[in-house]
Amino acid sequence: MYDAPLRKTDVEANEIKISAKDVQVYYGENHAIKDVSVELQDKTVTAFIGPSGCGKSTFLRCLNRMNDTIDICRVEGLISLDGEDIYDKRVDPVQLRAKVGMVFQKPNPFPKSIYDNVAYGPRIHGLAKTKADLDEIVEKALRRGAIWNEVKDRLHAPGTGLSGGQQQRLCIARAVATEPEVLLMDEPCSALDPIATAQVEELIDELRTNYSVVIVTHSMQQAARVSQKTAFFHLGHLVEYGETSQIFTNPVDSRTESYITGRIG
Amino acid sequence: MPVLWLILIVLALAVAGFIAGRLRVTSAGAERPHSLPNYYGWNVAMKVMAPAFLALVVWLLVQPMLVDRQVTAGLGEGAVPEGSTLGLVMSDVRRVAGGLDTAVSRGLITAGDADAMSAADSDVRSLLGEAGVALGSDVSPEVLEAAQDYRAMNSAGNFWRSAVVILLAVGGLVWGVAQSNRDFRARNAVETGIRMILLAAASIAILTTIGIVLSLVGNTWNFFQVYPASKFFGSFTWSPSFGGGSELGIWPLLWGTLYISFIALVVAVPIGLFAAVYLSEYAGPKMRAWAKPLLEVLAGIPTIVYGLFALLTVGPLLLTVFGRDGLGWMQAGTAVMTAGLVMGIMLIPFVSSLSDDIINAVPQSLRDGSYGLGATQSETIKQVILPAALPGIVGAVLLAASRAIGETMIVVFGAGAAARLSLNPFDAMTTVTAKIVSQLTGDADFASPEALVAFALGMTLFIITLGLNVFALYIVRKYREQYE
Amino acid sequence: MTDATSQGAARPRTSLTAADKRTQRRNAAEKRFRLYGLAAIGAGMFFLVVLLSSIIGNGIGAFQQTFIEVPVYLDPAKLDKNGNRDPAEMAKVSTFGYNPLIQDSLYQLVQDKGIATEYEDGGDMKALISASAAAQLRDRVLANPDLVGETVEFEILAASRVDGYLKDRVTRDSITEDKNIDAGHLDLVDALLEDGTVHKSFNLAFITGSDASESRPEQAGLGVSMLGSLFMMLVVLFLALPIGVAASIYLEEFAPQNKFTDFIEVNISNLAAVPSIVFGILGLAAFIQFAHLPQSAPLVGGLTLTLMTLPTIVISTRASLKAVPPSIRDAALGVGASKMQSVFHHVLPLAMPGILTGTIIGLAQALGETAPLLLIGMVGYIATNYPDGIISGFMSPNSAMPAQIYEWAKRADPAYYERAWGGIIILLVFLLVMNVIAIVLRRKFERRW
Repeated sequence: MYDAPLRKTDVEANEIKISAKDVQVYYGENHAIKDVSVELQDKTVTAFIGPSGCGKSTFLRCLNRMNDTIDICRVEGLISLDGEDIYDKRVDPVQLRAKVGMVFQKPNPFPKSIYDNVAYGPRIHGLAKTKADLDEIVEKALRRGAIWNEVKDRLHAPGTGLSGGQQQRLCIARAVATEPEVLLMDEPCSALDPIATAQVEELIDELRTNYSVVIVTHSMQQAARVSQKTAFFHLGHLVEYGETSQIFTNPVDSRTESYITGRIG
Repeated sequence: MPVLWLILIVLALAVAGFIAGRLRVTSAGAERPHSLPNYYGWNVAMKVMAPAFLALVVWLLVQPMLVDRQVTAGLGEGAVPEGSTLGLVMSDVRRVAGGLDTAVSRGLITAGDADAMSAADSDVRSLLGEAGVALGSDVSPEVLEAAQDYRAMNSAGNFWRSAVVILLAVGGLVWGVAQSNRDFRARNAVETGIRMILLAAASIAILTTIGIVLSLVGNTWNFFQVYPASKFFGSFTWSPSFGGGSELGIWPLLWGTLYISFIALVVAVPIGLFAAVYLSEYAGPKMRAWAKPLLEVLAGIPTIVYGLFALLTVGPLLLTVFGRDGLGWMQAGTAVMTAGLVMGIMLIPFVSSLSDDIINAVPQSLRDGSYGLGATQSETIKQVILPAALPGIVGAVLLAASRAIGETMIVVFGAGAAARLSLNPFDAMTTVTAKIVSQLTGDADFASPEALVAFALGMTLFIITLGLNVFALYIVRKYREQYE
Repeated sequence: MTDATSQGAARPRTSLTAADKRTQRRNAAEKRFRLYGLAAIGAGMFFLVVLLSSIIGNGIGAFQQTFIEVPVYLDPAKLDKNGNRDPAEMAKVSTFGYNPLIQDSLYQLVQDKGIATEYEDGGDMKALISASAAAQLRDRVLANPDLVGETVEFEILAASRVDGYLKDRVTRDSITEDKNIDAGHLDLVDALLEDGTVHKSFNLAFITGSDASESRPEQAGLGVSMLGSLFMMLVVLFLALPIGVAASIYLEEFAPQNKFTDFIEVNISNLAAVPSIVFGILGLAAFIQFAHLPQSAPLVGGLTLTLMTLPTIVISTRASLKAVPPSIRDAALGVGASKMQSVFHHVLPLAMPGILTGTIIGLAQALGETAPLLLIGMVGYIATNYPDGIISGFMSPNSAMPAQIYEWAKRADPAYYERAWGGIIILLVFLLVMNVIAIVLRRKFERRW
């Protein structure tokens, strides 16, 4: 069993997975993201930090085009995944989201059984040919979500009946079941208690072996614990981006320093 | 003393009380009273009006019942001629009594004459004819006597009514004015009074339900006295004949009702549901802004319009396709299909706006979760939203079914009049509601089973729709609580 | 968690821009689904268009009526034998005395114009003229006795068959079995039509007039039943609005959480879904059988509709009261107002636009409701007389707009169908106006907290 402190997982992390160039986001008249350019690496946990309303969640939702579901939202600039522009007209957001999965702030299991929750993604993407395949995928995903042992005896109980922490791990299992390449996490621990948070953090670190993980968090401790790279957002600008250790110990920008030391936020 | 005068007197006393109460506190010195002066006035006025009017209303309801019972008892068996009923004789009595009143008020006879006259030595019929009350036959001595009793009792009752009401009003006035000193919490008293009025208004809902139940139960009971319940629920034939010997089985009507409702739902549910899904999930704000109200126009159109539409437009249209010149399945324009189709059109907005609310109650986070996994919109709708909304949608469909079952005008015009048990949707059939109308708007005597059966039908209808509504509202409420 | 680390990227990398087979299939399914939705809305719109166009197409004709312009010689020898021009004396001449005058005048007119016809006297002209023409002429003469002895231009109402012929309802084929009119009459109509003697013009009598007997559809109008509806709506407005508002205030602001309150709530929500015909039964049993109120009276109709409309008004009023934020109540209570004062001085005025909107919509519903009226006897007789005053407006028998439409639709003569559709147009115009007022009220006073 995995039983070591965080950041033990050792992976090669250098390839650029997602790159953004001069991204602008508008909500109606409101200019929410201004001139953001960033390159996110594969097999790396990147944390987005910053005060409330700074645009970090908005930017995260641009990365798999979840903003498409909001009528008044408009994105400009270039965001590419493995060198392909994801806002290209020919790109099908459905295919994109299969590659770039997402976990949300509040656990949102579907009102279905645990099994059906996890099997939903593989089913719609046709990942399993037989029932046995599907069973295997579900089990693997639940194991990777570190929740298999808790639910293996009640796979057909409703997912909404689990505790908050279990629900969130179920949602992570659901997201990894579709074999995404990038996993976006929007404050995945904000609705959880400390014990559940620790479990989820452990999980995030582990997921790094296969995925590029981008996590939005309010907690600087969390960012420090789980991420290798950190981006600091303020008022819609990307203020600073670099190695987590460098950002937390030796920030370049004075605003970053103020935030880290708790003077703004 | 006429009721109108009585009301005016009480109102006048109330105004006097208002002024008196107000004056008593304002003129009593410099110290500020507990409440604003007007509250003291209102307190007195309320105490004048409330008991007096309450007594008046109760009296108006109870006196006719008591008098009727007394007079009926006095009539005895002998007064009812062959082929008539006690009810008919009583209505004669009331007419004669009313005629005597008119005659007295027009000065044709004196009040004394009216009490003393007998059927033997005066021509009551022609006298009443002069007073504008035409009678079908001569007045029998028993009826005249009963009518005189009726008048006597009513005039005694009316006297006591006036006395009691005025006494109560004056009593209230004295009490209210006596209370009006500066320490009295007039505002609180008035507010308690207003609260009572509000409560009474809210209770009207209960009274209405009780009224519905009583009027249905009483008359249904009467029906089962003259027609066995076992035949009503057991017979598969509906053939009323006003000459007697009717067969009044409910099943053909119930079958027609359910068949038409079923067709209506088959039309309305898919269209309404898909429209709701499209409007809430796909349509942009602009399209919603015009498509939703336009669909709801269908809901605002009175049912009589749909009835006429069924009779004069849809019926003939279907007949040209399925009638003798077409497929030959249809005999006449009025048929289950006609009524069902038009009713379906009527229910589209009902289903769509209910489903719209229910779909919108599904939290956005579920949609996000599904989109985040790379599901298309239709996959999200089919596999996440609709299953999540299913209980609510079932509730909505049940409410629509209850609407369809209770719908009257469309079936009166569109479904036909023949009661039959048939599977062919192009046959004319009839429904519970259509028969309630036809049995109660005919010339039948109210006491005959052919008219009374309408109440038993109404009772059945009421129970079915009530059951459906209670169940549907329960489901919908449970559903809403889940996402609150 | 060993299996976690052993996982690689299971799927080969695919380009985002090239949709694979499965995605194409899924996107096709998506398009189909979207199309179903659009089709459903399209179907709804289609039905709406068919319904409205059939209403207008069939009903617009009722607003036009055929008239015949005839100079009628008012023969003193027949109308006023004594020559006194005394209206009381002249009233003894009944409509039967006027009929020949009109018919002969029409015959004379045909002769003067030199129209060839097989008919030989005025009596044969009867088929062209409405049976009500004589009464109208008589009223006019009695109102102005000096006309006697003169020749007056008189616009007489054409018979319903003639009207139908002009509106294509009656054709030469359809009258072969008809005893009321012959092909020769239609020839005559054709000829008179050409020189303008017979013409169609706006039919005010349809909107303001009274109902007519079964055999004279050309004379029937909606005016009297419109008054009936008006009186009913007054009853509904003056009972349902105060009672509904009072009940809502109680339930929303004062009701304690207990069984009795729950019971009231359950009752209200169920009453809102009780079929309207059941309210008709209630009206019949409670107001007519039990309380002995007069049958067919707008008062009874109004009371019945009040009970039916109350739940609607209560539900919408409660929604408006709920929309007033609690901070307003707190503010009032904070300056020492009583609960009652905070409600009546602050909450209620703020909720008023919403309440009025709900009430108007409730009234519109009641205005179009037919089924309960059938049971309390507002059909089955002919509403020919205008009420003489306010009291009789409430108490004496009358019809109501939807009941009148029902009555017309039930009559055998197809000419009455046109009246029924026309009646629907008028009814819908009323409903439209009420709804527009409601919408304007809502827009104008809508407040976002």
